[in-house]
Amino acid sequence: MIEVLKPGLFTTVQDKGRMGYRSLGVPLSGAMDAMSAAMANKLVHNNTQTAVLEFTMMGPRLLFKAPTVIAVCGAGFHVRINDRPIELDKATEIAENDVLKIDHPDYGNYGYLAVMGGFDTEKVLESQSFYRTITKKEQLAKGDLLKFTTASSERIRRHASFSLDRHHFKNETVEAFPGPEFDLLPKTFQKKVLESHLKVKPQSNRMAFVMEGLEGVSAKEIITAPVQPGTVQLTPSGNCAVLMRDAQTTGGYARILQLTEQAICKLAQKRAGEKVRFKVKELL
Amino acid sequence: MKQPNIKPYGEKAVLIEWSPSIDNETLTHVLQAKQLVLETFPEQVLETVPAYSSLAVFLNKAVQQDAFIEQLAEKLKNTAKAEPAISRVLQIPVCYDPKFALDIEKVAKKNNLTVAEVIELHTQPQYKVYFLGFLPGFPYLGGLDGRLKTPRRENPREKIETGSVAIAGSQTGIYTASSPGGWNIIGKCPLRFFSIEKKPPALLKFGDFIKFVSISKDEYRKIEVEVNVDIYKIGEEAKND
Repeated sequence: MIEVLKPGLFTTVQDKGRMGYRSLGVPLSGAMDAMSAAMANKLVHNNTQTAVLEFTMMGPRLLFKAPTVIAVCGAGFHVRINDRPIELDKATEIAENDVLKIDHPDYGNYGYLAVMGGFDTEKVLESQSFYRTITKKEQLAKGDLLKFTTASSERIRRHASFSLDRHHFKNETVEAFPGPEFDLLPKTFQKKVLESHLKVKPQSNRMAFVMEGLEGVSAKEIITAPVQPGTVQLTPSGNCAVLMRDAQTTGGYARILQLTEQAICKLAQKRAGEKVRFKVKELL
Repeated sequence: MKQPNIKPYGEKAVLIEWSPSIDNETLTHVLQAKQLVLETFPEQVLETVPAYSSLAVFLNKAVQQDAFIEQLAEKLKNTAKAEPAISRVLQIPVCYDPKFALDIEKVAKKNNLTVAEVIELHTQPQYKVYFLGFLPGFPYLGGLDGRLKTPRRENPREKIETGSVAIAGSQTGIYTASSPGGWNIIGKCPLRFFSIEKKPPALLKFGDFIKFVSISKDEYRKIEVEVNVDIYKIGEEAKND
């Protein structure tokens, strides 16, 4: 069991998401940077889609009531166990009554905590991912208790350490496929979409990343149609948003690009004010 | 079946598109294609998302997208002409009392109608459920009487309560979960449109029709209790032609 001493800014349980209910209007959800979440799981020998804790900007403070092995991956958070700093991207043993403190990140937005064996929290519609209106909780609160499967001592052996390429956090290229309405844009607009350096705006969150820098480029509304995480929408007034994991399932704005899965993870780690550039990947 | 356009939608999804239009015939095509996709490719397809005139098909990681598009095109080509599906018409109770209907007077005034006329016009049509989206279980409805068209509120409310029945532009809908929103609230429905413990969790489904039925505050309270203990039986009626 883990007791939440401080929840942090916005901490949630996330797995691969709530697949199978989008036709009912239920967002997919899931870890924003699924690659970092998968890596945290790998480090503690979990299946890569096991539920993890996701935190952003200010991490949680957690009291472990049983020993286990953990790994913290993703954004460059400062992590301590009982005030002793520990490394990111490395499996670390936790003793009973250890307190894990996760502070601010030096780079990136989203961090992930995996425990060996996985969190044993409530499944709603086949997923442990938090989402307002679907799960009782939208985010963790002080005093919450999180069950986890206690790792058998046999599984705690050699502790691996590996990390994602630094490009994941530093590189500004975000790969995408042309979206359903890309061809409807005039060539001059297409060019601008692909050549502009777009700035991430501060109101970005799990639903959408709002981008600045496409002023003067716009697209007509469409008849409401399916959207998905990674869909880049352009509005008639020239606003641009990239839909993220908690996006609605349908939308009425032109879908000009569709990010690759890797690009969604990469964009999730771009901070407000940082820039990206879309690069079109040709389909086979 | 009218031949749709099939194209990739990112790495692991395919979009089937008919000419953009909001009408029954197109909806029948979407409905039929959805069923065909789910029945023909159960292994390859994770889920589908229908909308007015398109269908997104989300594929399993292992599926070759281009090969799938070829198979799908072939399958759709060989499918018989779409038959309109038999739909149910569900009676949805709505209390239009001013206690709930925060904007009904505004809607009436805007359209030079009395409040009674607004209620009458709103409870007249059998609305078609085109698809669910926006909020879990939220139906996109077709069929609002043109005389009730009202623009969105200039200042959206921070919270619209679950069950609120509202109008925005030429659309009407039911807030199936609480949400911020700019729609004009004209009533409230005591039913639950999305319950995680039910199978399927959404009350309505794509292709259904609904008819709003005006109820009093007392009836609202009674139905609310019946819904809470799960004994409320939703009325159905025959489809008008």
